[in-house]
Amino acid sequence: MADKYLELIGITTRFGDVEALQGVSLSVARGEVVCLIGPSGCGKSTLLRAANWLTPPNEGTVRLDGSVVGHAPQGRATAAQIRALNGHRARIGMVFQQFNVWPHLTALENVVRAQMVVLRRDKSEAEAKARQALADVGLSDKMDAWPERLSGGQKQRLAIARTLAMDPVLMLMDEPTSALDPELVAEVLAVLQRLAEIQMTMLIVTHELGFAMRVADRIVFMEAGGIVEQGPPQELLSNPRTDRLKAFLDKLSLTTLPKDREHAEI
Amino acid sequence: MTLDLTIFVDYGPRILLGFWMTIKIVVLAISLGLPFGVVLALARRSRLRVLSWSALAFIEIFRNTPFIIQVFLIYYVLPFYGLRLPAEQVGVLALAAFGSAYFAEVIRGGIDAVPSGQLESARAIGMSDLQAMRHIVLPQSLAIILPPLTNQMLSLIKESAILSTITVQEMTMTALRVQGETFRPFEAFIMIALLYWLLNEVVAIAMRALERRWTTKPVEGEA
Ligand SMILES: Nc1ncnc2c1ncn2[C@@H]1O[C@H](COP(=O)(O)OP(=O)(O)O)[C@@H](O)[C@H]1O
Ligand SMILES: [Mg+2]
Repeated sequence: MADKYLELIGITTRFGDVEALQGVSLSVARGEVVCLIGPSGCGKSTLLRAANWLTPPNEGTVRLDGSVVGHAPQGRATAAQIRALNGHRARIGMVFQQFNVWPHLTALENVVRAQMVVLRRDKSEAEAKARQALADVGLSDKMDAWPERLSGGQKQRLAIARTLAMDPVLMLMDEPTSALDPELVAEVLAVLQRLAEIQMTMLIVTHELGFAMRVADRIVFMEAGGIVEQGPPQELLSNPRTDRLKAFLDKLSLTTLPKDREHAEI
Repeated sequence: MTLDLTIFVDYGPRILLGFWMTIKIVVLAISLGLPFGVVLALARRSRLRVLSWSALAFIEIFRNTPFIIQVFLIYYVLPFYGLRLPAEQVGVLALAAFGSAYFAEVIRGGIDAVPSGQLESARAIGMSDLQAMRHIVLPQSLAIILPPLTNQMLSLIKESAILSTITVQEMTMTALRVQGETFRPFEAFIMIALLYWLLNEVVAIAMRALERRWTTKPVEGEA
């Protein structure tokens, strides 16, 4: 795809002596679903967190729809730059492995709060939007529930609803199902699949290869802080060109693939 | 030693005036010191070095020197710089500064106890750092902050007695005067001991009520 909607250019991130990302460039087209795979510690989370400048890189540029989200190295951000960044973040939904739902707010309030605080929507509009988003993820009957009463799958769907209510143009997801009990993975993947069907632009870190196969337009394989190989799922997974991807798939298929077959039913 | 009840009757009203002054001073000191404590706690976490270091220096100085010395320094040194304030105002400022240093540490502890993912998810959705603090982090810190905060308020109330040394007409000062005039220390001091105790109980009970109100979630169905 030629259209570059999200552009990560030359992203280098260092943590002390560790170079977590070594000049990584990656573009995502509008409506495209890209799955990031790779061994633990290879820099997937760091790359995702560079995309919304949550972990600002040491070098590199991030652009969304042509406008700069972040550019490094850069001196202290000005107030205007911080406002612009927060504006971008409001349109970039992020879903975390650990859900990070807000435990002091009910499900409905979780979805309402940022709409009111960040987008300055009034209460009735925010609540209408929140009800719709909660319905979209199948949580209509949990509006008034406290997060601690929800299962892991429900918490993650709540977190997704919270970002959907912001009318995101892009979703970043960092292993959205990795913290879930196996029997709860399917309900979350089903929600993600629906998002893919409505052409939501998504960058998803996942170990669920079966899921990636079904929804991804492109799979990107990372290792040791760089992109090793990328391509359409079928092609990439059935014909890995590099030994490193081959080795990774061999190791993963032992653990993940059987589990994924079950999910393929939904 | 027998109790001379007439002292209570004759001097009670004066003691109550002192009590009223103590209440005014303490309420003012807490209303200044608490918000300033929040500012200090946030400054302490700031990425701006000047800010975090100044906050740290302030907190360390006020926590590691005796309150009575702080009071003397402020009372006797400020006039040298042309700032001559009435003793009551110096007292309020000194108590507020002293209290804010302790409040700041309690608040910072509460903020740090909230998992980092909470702040991250708030920032990732577009909240500014201050919005994230106000809407996401601080409300969750309350349960952790309130009990030690109450303790700090109680010690602030007790420390206010020190202000008698700079002639603030608060309760301890009044009791000292009454004692000087009557030579009946027991009656004078038992009155104010009871009043300090009463004030602290009221504050402790009010804070516990706040704690229940702010930190207990309604049972499901009630929400
Ligand atoms: N906040 C951090 N501080 C120090 N090192 C970090 C931090 N975050 C990540 N790293 C290091 O950067 C590398 C990449 O981490 P990460 O992006 O989390 O990998 P992945 O998500 O692919 O498992 C790892 O070596 C990790 O230890
Ligand atoms: Mg990761």
